Amino acid sequence: MTREITYVEAIAEALDEELSRDDDVILFGEDVEEFGGNFGETEGLYEKHGRDRVRNTPLSEIGIAGMALGAAVGGIRPVAELQFADFAATAGDEVFNQIPKQPYVSGGRLEAPLTIFAPSGAGIGAGAQHSQSVHSWLGNVPGWVVVTATTPYDAKGLFKSAIRDDNPVFFLPHKMLSETKGEVPDEEYTLPLGEAVVEEDGEDVTVVATQLMFHRAKEAAAEVDADVEIVNPRTFAPLDTETIAESVRKTGRLVVVDETVERYGTQGYIANEIVENEFFSFDAPPKTIGVKDVPIPLSPPLEQEVLPSADRIAAGIESLF
Amino acid sequence: MWERMTQDVNVDDDTARRFLEEMLRIDIFEEETKERFGDGEIPGFVHLSGGHEGSHVGMGAAMRDEDWLAVGGARLIGQYIAKGVPLPEIMAELYGRVDGSNRGHGGQMHVADVDRKLYGHAATIGSGQNPAVGLALAEKVKGTDNVAVTTIGDGGTSRGSFHTALVFAAYWDLPVVFVIENNQWAISTPAESLSPDSLSDYGDPHNMATESVDGSDVEEVYRAVSDAIERARNGEGPSVIESRVVRLVPHFEGDKETYRDEAEYERLKEEKDPIENYRERLLENDVLTEGEIEDMVANIQDEVSEAVEFARESPEPEPEAAYEHVYRTPLYGQGE
Ligand SMILES: Cc1ncc(C[n+]2csc(CCOP(=O)(O)OP(=O)(O)O)c2C)c(N)n1
Ligand SMILES: [Mg+2]
Repeated sequence: MTREITYVEAIAEALDEELSRDDDVILFGEDVEEFGGNFGETEGLYEKHGRDRVRNTPLSEIGIAGMALGAAVGGIRPVAELQFADFAATAGDEVFNQIPKQPYVSGGRLEAPLTIFAPSGAGIGAGAQHSQSVHSWLGNVPGWVVVTATTPYDAKGLFKSAIRDDNPVFFLPHKMLSETKGEVPDEEYTLPLGEAVVEEDGEDVTVVATQLMFHRAKEAAAEVDADVEIVNPRTFAPLDTETIAESVRKTGRLVVVDETVERYGTQGYIANEIVENEFFSFDAPPKTIGVKDVPIPLSPPLEQEVLPSADRIAAGIESLF
Repeated sequence: MWERMTQDVNVDDDTARRFLEEMLRIDIFEEETKERFGDGEIPGFVHLSGGHEGSHVGMGAAMRDEDWLAVGGARLIGQYIAKGVPLPEIMAELYGRVDGSNRGHGGQMHVADVDRKLYGHAATIGSGQNPAVGLALAEKVKGTDNVAVTTIGDGGTSRGSFHTALVFAAYWDLPVVFVIENNQWAISTPAESLSPDSLSDYGDPHNMATESVDGSDVEEVYRAVSDAIERARNGEGPSVIESRVVRLVPHFEGDKETYRDEAEYERLKEEKDPIENYRERLLENDVLTEGEIEDMVANIQDEVSEAVEFARESPEPEPEAAYEHVYRTPLYGQGE
């Protein structure tokens, strides 16, 4: 049996269930108590689980991320929120130099089973410092497991797995999807990390897309005169290239759409992985589509200009035939 | 500027002997490290602790085995030894060998031994304090009375991360002891030009207990850190201690120290060497004889030689080991 919930409810449910399941899980971040998070993602948790388990922190991402690292090494399972994914940079040393590297430089002796989650992506007119997609930044630093969510089903199942995983996991919901609805199972479930999923079967072209871009790719697929297969990577690092490769072996064409900036972005990396290993499966050159090489502007027409639209994705697909 | 050090011994004889022995262990281990580095046997940077031995030993002795140490500053080897990491494991790590504490993935700046509750160093100076707050939080959540001690140099206290850690520790009254090893220098930048009278004053706006002590005196550090740890264990929250030490060595091996005043440097070596000072005190107070100290030195020299032998005989890592320890696999649910 399934029921319909919103994406942000899925996130709150994942947190609630994991807080109930495991006493070692604690949640902290800015305004996670009564306020309930900017999008309602922590609503009700403080009232239910109490201040020892759900803690407001002072306003410092360095403090939040650094404390999460120490708490994880110290044997508990912290889940820490940054209010916007852009603020990964505010805690730059913790996010890029400390968390992903401490397990490695310790020669595996130290474990950091923490989760940081932060709403990412553009589309709500939040401007250049509250709209970025940062999985390309994070994916560039080995040690992070980088996970995105596309539907309520993904959001709940992947977030629960992120919390249970023994690696540092950066979980990135998309703020534009907060109020979208979808089916989730009535019973408890988790979804595997490190595995992509074929969301839509098709024969002619493979489109790799996640988060908001997945939904735009679906619109694009309906517009074009081709049978489109859509693969949702779910985890960006480490990436499940095999599922994508298998799809391309069938379709012979590849479009990678992502909301990261095109220059040195995820799109080029993913396309390269497949081209290097599957060159002779291709019937056309791969196509990459991302945010144009500019900061995200505020005014809606400007913002929509730089984000890949369904039309741009459709044009990208058609350019391969 | 520097007060003269006391000539008294205020701890029992066994403790006093242990203090001297542990300081000598750091000194002899590091002298050997310097030689081995000079001969090209040790890769990377080598920062030595000369002048900080009393601070390291006093702090280490004030801690229980179950208390965390999150090391900072650049004087690290002395702290690893004071936390009880075996010498062979440290030396093999300096050599980058498979039997090193961290299988050669870390090196001199990244010895981490979680079994002995030594958190790995944040070699970006000043990034170990917020993790220390997290370690203290974990202990509190688990309901223990263990504390987290964290060290930082005078240089590191200028980073925002340090001040954030004070904010966070004070916010929940967590059991954290911040020890600032003020050796007057951040490479060539003098601490004198920082505005506080004592760097422990940085705890004042947070209403923390603060104290500034002569860090060249092992007993003073032992007392001050013990008091701070006791407060932390009793739920009285974090403290900041300034341990005023001298750096009697270059920043790292190879630093020509062109920025130091030679006469002042000589005077400090004469007056503020924590080991020489304590040795004299123990002799004067008849805690130890010259002969006993010589035996102590000889025993430690043997230990250190064994550590070097252990490191030399330990194999170099296989190149493929570079790919280990990035992720714990399978990831959750992967391949099921
Ligand atoms: C964030 C950061 N900036 C600069 C450096 C380079 N560096 C290494 S040690 C050091 C001086 C540190 O001085 P202090 O904190 O007083 O420690 P000490 O060397 O005196 O033990 C500097 C600038 C670094 N490792 N990390
Ligand atoms: Mg210094």
